[in-house]
Amino acid sequence: MKTKALWLQGVSCNGNSHSFLNYEGLRELLSKVEFLYHPLLPSRLRIEDLADFTEDIDILVIEGAIKKEGFLRGKKEFFRLFQKLKKKAKYIVAVGNCASFGGVFKEYEADLTGVGYSKGEKIADFENLINVPGCPAHPEWIGSVLSLLCEGCEPELDELSRPAEIYSYTVHAGCLRNEYFEWKVDSATFGSKEGCLFYQQGCQAPYTGGNCNKILWNGVSSKTRAGMPCIGCTEPGFPSRDLFKTKTYMGIPARMPKGVPKRAYLTLTGVAKSFKIDRLNNPLMPKGPGCEKEES
Amino acid sequence: MRVDILQKIEGEAFLRYRFKKGRIEHVKIEFPHYRGVEEIMRGRPAEDAVAIAPRVCGICGHSHLIAAAEALENAAGVTPPLKARYIRNVTLGCELIQNHIKWLYLVILPLLKRMGFREVPFFEAIDKSATAGKIIAIFGGQYPHTSYAVLGGVCSDPTLLEIQKAKLFAKEIEDFFHSEVMEEIERFSEFKDSRGILKEIYIFLKHKELLDIGRAHDRFLNLREGTKILGLKRVSAKLRYVSTAPSGIGYAKNALYKGKYFEVGPLARRIHTPFVKDLHRRYKDGLFTRIAARVYEIKILLSQLKETLKKIEPQGDSFVKTDSLAEGTGEAVVEAPRGSLIHRVKIKKGKIERYEIITPTQFNLSNGTSLNPGPAQKAVIGLRDRSEAELVFRSFDICSVCTTH
Amino acid sequence: MSKPTKKEQRKIEIMDTALRLFSKEGFFAVTIADIAKELNMSVGNLYNYFSSKEALAKELIFYISKILGTKIREINMMDIKTKEKIEKIVEVYFNTAIERPELIDYFLRVYLSHKEIFKEGCEGMICVSPFVTEIMIFFEEGVRNSELRDQDFFTAFGLFMGYLGGMVYLKGEGMLPNDLKFYTRSISENIYRALKSED
Repeated sequence: MKTKALWLQGVSCNGNSHSFLNYEGLRELLSKVEFLYHPLLPSRLRIEDLADFTEDIDILVIEGAIKKEGFLRGKKEFFRLFQKLKKKAKYIVAVGNCASFGGVFKEYEADLTGVGYSKGEKIADFENLINVPGCPAHPEWIGSVLSLLCEGCEPELDELSRPAEIYSYTVHAGCLRNEYFEWKVDSATFGSKEGCLFYQQGCQAPYTGGNCNKILWNGVSSKTRAGMPCIGCTEPGFPSRDLFKTKTYMGIPARMPKGVPKRAYLTLTGVAKSFKIDRLNNPLMPKGPGCEKEES
Repeated sequence: MRVDILQKIEGEAFLRYRFKKGRIEHVKIEFPHYRGVEEIMRGRPAEDAVAIAPRVCGICGHSHLIAAAEALENAAGVTPPLKARYIRNVTLGCELIQNHIKWLYLVILPLLKRMGFREVPFFEAIDKSATAGKIIAIFGGQYPHTSYAVLGGVCSDPTLLEIQKAKLFAKEIEDFFHSEVMEEIERFSEFKDSRGILKEIYIFLKHKELLDIGRAHDRFLNLREGTKILGLKRVSAKLRYVSTAPSGIGYAKNALYKGKYFEVGPLARRIHTPFVKDLHRRYKDGLFTRIAARVYEIKILLSQLKETLKKIEPQGDSFVKTDSLAEGTGEAVVEAPRGSLIHRVKIKKGKIERYEIITPTQFNLSNGTSLNPGPAQKAVIGLRDRSEAELVFRSFDICSVCTTH
Repeated sequence: MSKPTKKEQRKIEIMDTALRLFSKEGFFAVTIADIAKELNMSVGNLYNYFSSKEALAKELIFYISKILGTKIREINMMDIKTKEKIEKIVEVYFNTAIERPELIDYFLRVYLSHKEIFKEGCEGMICVSPFVTEIMIFFEEGVRNSELRDQDFFTAFGLFMGYLGGMVYLKGEGMLPNDLKFYTRSISENIYRALKSED
C-alpha cells in the first residue's frame, strides 16, 4: 500500500511546491506516496474535502507559515484544518523556512510561526516533526526525506529538528570559492568568478547549514558558485537585513564561520593576508574571444 | 449565488457566481489573504529588494526579481551591461517556459480530463519544466528563488562551456515541445495537418463547441513593449496611465489602464504573430486563442533563448558598480508569465520608503461590475456550465499568490 | 598552560639577553658570539637554539608580540568599558616601555626600521599576529558595543599604536619633560575621544 501523505499550505508563496516538482525522483516517489491533497499535483481530494476528512495519514507536509486566525483554506480556517490533521499524522514534515521558523512573511505579520518553532524558539513539543527549511527547500531535501519515511526510516535530527545529514554541512562546504576564503581574497565586485563573497557581499554560507554546495541546485550549480551570496535561508533568523553587505566591526566580519572562535579566525586571517598569492589575485582564466559571430 | 473554489492554480480564489436564467450573469473573484510584501520591503536597504521580491511567488518569482532589479536601476539611473541584459533575458525566458509547460500539464489538462479529454501523463513535461530551471541555475545558481540579478547587472560570469550546457538543455526542451506539444509551424493553415497536444485540445474543444467561448474585451496591453492593442491596432501605451483601485472584495486591487480593464499576457504579447493572428481572426479573444497563444509562446521563447545564448560573450562585463543608491524613485515593467508586471520603488536615505507591485492577474482578474466587468469576468458571462467557466478562468493562468502579494 | 621545558627556558634566557644587548649596543653591533659570551655558553651551543642571527631576530619579534598580546588579551577578557580598556592598554604599553624598554625598543628600532631582515618568514602580520589579533578583538568589541566608531581598522590601529610608539620614542630620545606614566591619563582620553562613536 502506498504511503498516505497530505500537503497543506499555510501562508506561503508556493515556492516549495514548485521546488518539489524539480525533484529528480518525483516519478519514483509518487509510485510510493499518494498525495491525498497537493496544491499543484492531481490528487484524490479537493481542498474543500479536507473539512470532513477524518482518515489517518502517514505524512503531513506543511508548507508556509502557521496563522492562527483569519486565514482560510478551502472554506475552513487553516488553523483548524492543521490542528485536526496534525493529530492524524504519523509524521509532520515542515518544508521551507516559513513552515519551519515563520519565514519571510513573519516580517509583516509577527504572529506567524513555523509548525514547531517561531524563529529559533521552540513553541510546541512535537516528537514527530521534521523541519526541512530553505527558501525554498531543495527538492532533494524534501524528496529524500519523504522517501526515507516511506521506508520506515527516520533521519537523525539536529537541535532545530532538521535532518543532521543535510544541515550539519555549512553552505560554505564545497563552494568553488573556498580557496579565496582560505587566502582571504575578497570579491571586489559582483559578476566575477574570482574572490570570496564573505568579506564584502554579505555571504552567510560559512554559518548557514545546508548541503547546497554538496548536492548542488537543479543539478548544476549553487548561488555562491554563481556569484550570489548565500542569504542564510535555512536558518531561523532568515531573512536578516542588508543581505548584500557584510556587517563588519572595524573591518572584521560581525559573524564568524560556524564554531570558529574569533581569536582563531583573526589569527589565521592575519597570517593568510600577509601573503599575496598571485594565482588568486589574477583572473581565473583568460577571457578569450569566444565564438565566431555571424556577420550581422 | 454559487461559490466555487478555484484551486490548483497558484494558490486559491473564490468565485462567487450570480446566475440568471441558468447563465452566469456576474462573478465576483475573491483572493484571500494579504502577505504584506510591500510592507516587508519598507525600511530595508534598497539592495534587499532583489532578495525579498522573488518571495512573492514560487512560480514567477524570477520575474519579480528582474522587475525589482530594474526598478532599482531605474531609480539609480544605471544601465546594466549588455551581457547582463542578455543573461537576464535568458533566465526570464526560461521562467516563462517552465511556467507555461506546468500550466498546460497541471492547470489545463487535468480539467480537460474531467471534461472527457484523454489522460496525459505529466512526468516528462514536469521534467522539461525542471530543465528550464536548470538553465536558470547555470546563470543564477538555483531555481526557484535566486536573487542573482542585482542593481547593476548579474552576479554570475558564465563560461563558454556553461553556456554550451545551457544550449543543450534548451535543445532538450525544444525536442520535447515539438514532438509532444506542437510541431514547428508558423500558421494556422499548417496546424490542421500537424500533431501534438495542442492540436488534440483544438479538436476536443471544437467538438464541444467551446473554441470561442471566453471572449473578453479584445483590448490588450503589452507594457514592456509600451503598446496597447485595440482591435489588432497597436498604439503606444505609457506606464504612468496604469492605476490601481480597491476591488471591493478580498485583498486584491484592480489594475486599470486609463480607467479601463485590459487583458495582459501571452495573447497580448503574441497577437501579431501569424499563428495567433489567424486564430484571433477565427475565434477572437476566445478560449482557444488564449490557450494557443500561451502554448505558441513557448515556441517563440525557445527560439529567442537559443539566439540569446549565442549572444552572451564571456569577455563582457556582467556587472557595473554603482555608488550606493541613496535617493530616487524608479519603476520597471517586465513581461512575466501572466503578463505585464510592474514594480515601483521610492528610496530615501538608502532605504526603501515605498514599494508597489502591480501583477498581471490584477489586470486580468479585476473585479468590475456586471455592467463594466474585468477581462476574466467578462469572459465567463453567459456561460451555463461552471466547468466551462473554470476552464476560461484557467486559460488566463491565474496567480493568486502574486495577486495577494 | 604547561610549564616551559628546560630547553624552552634556555631559549627565553637567550632571547632576553639578546634583546638587552641589542638595546644597549645596537642590533648590528652585536654578534651571535657576543650573546653567547654574555650567557657563558659556546657559540656552537647557541646555534642549537637559533640557526642564525636572522632566525633569532624573527623569533624575537614573535616573542615580543606574544608578551604584549597576552597582556592585552587579559584586558580584552575583562568585563569593563572600552574606555577603561584603552587606559589599561596604554598602561601596559608604557609599563613595558619602562620596565622592559628593550622590548619596545626592538619593536620600534629593529622590526619597524629594518624590514629587510624580516621580509622572509615575517611577512605582513605573521610575526606580530599575537599582538595585532588582540588589538583587532579590542576594536571589534568596542564597535560592536557601539562605544567606538566603525571605521577602517588600520586607520584606528595607526592612531592608537602610532601614538604610543611615538611617545615612547620621544621618551627614548630624552625629549619628554615628564615620566611616561604622567601622560597615561591624557593620552588615553585623547585616544578615546578620537575613536569613540559619535552619539
